[in-house]
Amino acid sequence: MRPKTMIFVGLTIAAVAGGYALMEYSRGVKGADDLHVVATLEAEQLLAEFTLDETAATAKYVGVTEQAIQVSGTIRTMEPTGDGKVTVVLETGDPLAGVTCEFAEAEVPLTWRSGSRVTVKGICTGLLMDVVLVRCAPVA
Amino acid sequence: MRIRQRKGSTTEPEPMKHLKNLAFALALLPLAASAQDRYMTRNGHIAFFSATPMENIEGNNHKVTSVWDVTTGAMQFAVLIKAFEFEKALMQEHFNENYMESNTFPKAEFKGKLAGITAEQLKKTGTYEVSVTGDLTIHGVSKPVSAKGKVTVDAAGAITASSDLIVKPEDHGIKIPGVVRKNIAEEITVKVRMEYAKM
Repeated sequence: MRPKTMIFVGLTIAAVAGGYALMEYSRGVKGADDLHVVATLEAEQLLAEFTLDETAATAKYVGVTEQAIQVSGTIRTMEPTGDGKVTVVLETGDPLAGVTCEFAEAEVPLTWRSGSRVTVKGICTGLLMDVVLVRCAPVA
Repeated sequence: MRIRQRKGSTTEPEPMKHLKNLAFALALLPLAASAQDRYMTRNGHIAFFSATPMENIEGNNHKVTSVWDVTTGAMQFAVLIKAFEFEKALMQEHFNENYMESNTFPKAEFKGKLAGITAEQLKKTGTYEVSVTGDLTIHGVSKPVSAKGKVTVDAAGAITASSDLIVKPEDHGIKIPGVVRKNIAEEITVKVRMEYAKM
């Protein structure tokens, strides 16, 4: 291979590798809408499974890598929590525990109110007092 | 204000999977305390900052659950590691997979006491200097911490508690590979801010 060709090939490989590295470094965080939905269920059932066996429910709904779940329920409360986020808590039948869904403020439909029946897609991160879903999106 | 971990007093690592949730913590709070003196939040905020010449890394978690009994001073908060959010996906992946090992240690927790304020003072507008002592468990490793902080009561009666902690990853058994050592600060600033409501 001629020296000029070798330099051209080398520079091309370096440019492609550099571009890929930059793209990978700058890659944004995915929302629930961008992820595969692994389960569809009611908020009450989700809490019940975590309460019954937290380890098993964590393996199923949180998973090893990020995944989305789709949860339906009735809105108990909606509350802004700062930094442009809104927390929507879904009823579970247990007054001390709910399914909390964190949305970007712009993602929350204007028609949503306490008592509305809704379906959300979210990334389940586990159980504290509530089951916590982040980076949620509404499902029409 | 800054909080520094006390040195020379290490507790043995415990699997985080055995941590009880905060509902259990509620049961631990003394029964004698009046419910009116207990406060909680499910939307507390913890942010951490790692600043180096190579890059700055910031993670935020707005889903911190905390309970505080003003009468006894007992205070606890817990956080799900996977609920930390970052600007870049690569930071979030490295944080969960390489450093915090969040599949093995899904939660971090603080259990301790907050002193320097009374239930009577919480009825008055003002900013009160407080101190916090307890055990901070991250990555399955508990370390005792002592700290100073502030509790603010605004004109509407809203109560906000805040403090800054300095955490060293190595104190909690978090290993940083040599190749990225310069990208991650040896001391991480952790900002804790809770807006409490009466239970």
